Amino acid sequence: MEIKGIFKLENKSWVLGSVIVAILVLLPILFLIRGLLKIEESDLLYLLNTILLEYTLNTFYLIFITSLFSLFFGILPAWYISKYKFAGRSFFDITLYLPLAIPSYIMAFTYSDILSFTGPIQSFLRTHFNSISNIFNKDYLQIEVLGVVLALALYPYIYSASRISFSLIGVNYVNLSKNLGLSKTKSFFKIFLPLSKPAILSGLFLVIMEVLNEYGAVKYFGINTYTSGIFRAWFSMNNIGTAIQLSIILLIVVLSLLYLEKLINAKSKFNYSINSKRQNLRNLKKKKLFLVYIVCSIPVFFGFFIPLGFIINNVILTYFKIDFNQLFELVSNSIKVSTIASILIIIIALLFLFIEKITKSKINHVISQLISLGYALPGAVIGLSLILMATSFNDIFSSLSIMGSFYLLIYAYVIRFLAVGKSPIKSSLDKHPDSYTDTAKNLGLSPIMQLKEIYLPINKFALITAFIVTFIDLMKELPITLILRPFNFDTLGTQTYEYAIEEMIPLSSIYSLSIIIISSVMLLFLKNIINKQINVPRG
Amino acid sequence: MKKIFYSLLVCLLVSCNSEKKSDEVNLYSQRHYSVDKLQYENFEKLTGIKVNVIKANADELIERLKNEGENSPADLFVTVDAGKLYKANDMGLLQKISSDVINSNVSEKLKDKNGFWIPITYRARVLVYSNERVTKDELSTYEDLVDKKWKGRILVRSSSNAYNQALMSSIVANNGAEASIEWSKGMVNNFARDPKGSDRDQVKAIAAGQGDIAVVNSYYIGLLLTSEKKEELNAGKAVTVFFPNQGENQRGSHINISGIGLAKNSPNKQNAIKLMEYLTSEAGQKTYVNNSYEYPANPSVSPSEIVKSWGEFKIDELDLNMLGEYRDQAIRIFDETGWK
Repeated sequence: MEIKGIFKLENKSWVLGSVIVAILVLLPILFLIRGLLKIEESDLLYLLNTILLEYTLNTFYLIFITSLFSLFFGILPAWYISKYKFAGRSFFDITLYLPLAIPSYIMAFTYSDILSFTGPIQSFLRTHFNSISNIFNKDYLQIEVLGVVLALALYPYIYSASRISFSLIGVNYVNLSKNLGLSKTKSFFKIFLPLSKPAILSGLFLVIMEVLNEYGAVKYFGINTYTSGIFRAWFSMNNIGTAIQLSIILLIVVLSLLYLEKLINAKSKFNYSINSKRQNLRNLKKKKLFLVYIVCSIPVFFGFFIPLGFIINNVILTYFKIDFNQLFELVSNSIKVSTIASILIIIIALLFLFIEKITKSKINHVISQLISLGYALPGAVIGLSLILMATSFNDIFSSLSIMGSFYLLIYAYVIRFLAVGKSPIKSSLDKHPDSYTDTAKNLGLSPIMQLKEIYLPINKFALITAFIVTFIDLMKELPITLILRPFNFDTLGTQTYEYAIEEMIPLSSIYSLSIIIISSVMLLFLKNIINKQINVPRG
Repeated sequence: MKKIFYSLLVCLLVSCNSEKKSDEVNLYSQRHYSVDKLQYENFEKLTGIKVNVIKANADELIERLKNEGENSPADLFVTVDAGKLYKANDMGLLQKISSDVINSNVSEKLKDKNGFWIPITYRARVLVYSNERVTKDELSTYEDLVDKKWKGRILVRSSSNAYNQALMSSIVANNGAEASIEWSKGMVNNFARDPKGSDRDQVKAIAAGQGDIAVVNSYYIGLLLTSEKKEELNAGKAVTVFFPNQGENQRGSHINISGIGLAKNSPNKQNAIKLMEYLTSEAGQKTYVNNSYEYPANPSVSPSEIVKSWGEFKIDELDLNMLGEYRDQAIRIFDETGWK
């Protein structure tokens, strides 16, 4: 009785603590909502009558194409690599993650350059095969092209999710499918795909969010999406109120999507660890080998090696113009802010999830859902919300000079990317039965001790994964840094962007190459961790 | 865990230790060309005044300036569009600049009549045409672009681009709203493709034969003609620059400035004025023309060789504040006439 009593008391203070941190995380969004009430004049109706419908339809179409190709680029290679042995398998298993290292707007700029009239393909054709060169002389700045290009940058979200899922589905299921006399193709569609649905959907959700947040690439391709509408209201029409209204509508739509994903996943709840043995890799028939190589090569080469080669070529062309001192400074800035923000994000995410786990409090369940809201807003809107908040606290903040400081920048990063860091930790915690917590309680371990002795060690991989994923997203981050950064502060991302929008892509290449190298190294670490998780016991 | 936490704390403290100096000037700048960095370094060497810069989109900077209010550290607001300076001033974020030096440095035609901002460089929004498929005498004015003969031949970027918004504002200011709606419809009718890409891409599209004339900013042609890539160079050489509206009774080509406004609550006003004086001086202006393809605001300095080779032209002397005044109307015309 006594022990239980202490527990309840402690739990209360934990819950209270997490509520306070949650309020801090959500505060800027509340200011955004408060901004709704202050709107004097809205152009929402005007936008509805003119461009909003077209912008919304474009968005759906772009999401459709990107999702379709991301699924195609992600699921099939994951299937073959998880199930079959073939030469080059480990090479593909590593490199299939790498396109994530390339910011999507860089991917878009790079491909538009590669495909353009003055790009390498058309130039080559004109020089050597002049007669057929005209067939390829087309306008490639099309929504379909952009959809595929974005899919090349984003499919690793789906690849990694399905790769883990396919590998963890145990040998029982394979035997079952054999006993039922299912062909390999049928067992893929009837067993593996349905069982992996939650994992694939969560990857797809990330892809959709990234498309919704995309601004630079869509603008360049001349495709107006819903997010372009937000910026049209804010920048061109100078009506912040309307921009906030549009952002809140977006927020509601994304929330509904999240809820939908939860509903679907709840129906297909499934626990990998129950499944006894892992399966052995099977040999591949020669006929099929060719197909497998094609399926694995397309995303890797088009998503990583071709853009990388192009960027390296640009770096060589502009080598004599590189200012190495500045480059080192930017590398250090980028790594510094990404590291600080990632660590903070992991601490906060872990705090929320851990408290939810040990207290099973409903408040905490709701909180840990709500803190993901920041991911549903375009970065610039998060920046705006922080500026609005800073205004309201003007006097307090200016005396501490918070505005224009690293604190505010890091604060914004945390709000925006908390969901990214939360997701791997959550899925790891979900795998552990509640009996751990109960046993710990019975042993009289305090929450801190539980965290230290049980949860930190058993979730070690998830925490490192969360760090890497968040770190890479922060390396690529752009809009928040632009709007909130302190004086004389540049990152690799901002410098790349500044050259790129001034139409000096070659000069931007050394900075984008640095982002790609750093992120690739991190991804290789991540790959190692994932391998440790999925390859341990092999029956 | 503890170790991580403490090292994090130390990191935070170290990185946030911002030094306060009195010998400095703080810029909120939309310009992020390498020439600007060079200018500030030169100024620092000359005067010992440190130039601090935050670079972002003009509207974001205005929002930041507005919300910081009296506590804003910003001294100067630097943009590449007179319309944004008008907007900042309209929101009460600027103060009058009084300096005889600047006044005598810059061209009368480019000045703000109310004295709230100053020009540092200017650029023209010109036409470029295909050397193969168009002759010079076929071209005349912006207004003529809606002629049937240009059907399916005009290339231009999207209406979310500030340079196009400024051009449309100038058309509204000069010709009135109704005529501008007709003009916009006519343009859309003659587009070779949906507006997209950058200014450079419009020129490349001419080289690719996707269209015959493009509306672009003058300095992008300079960039193409000095590109590291042979193919881009060829694209630049496939077109010729044309300054529209040069006839005797015509108003001249539309121009826009890069300019600076003095922030209302500027904490280092003296330094700010010194910097503006330097940037508009002959030395400062020479740095601009030697490292970019913009036109100098100081008439005693001549533009770079490439820019000079396009010839002299008459500029539209419309009050540049009108580029901001008519901005809202311009956007609505774009939206209503389907200029994407």
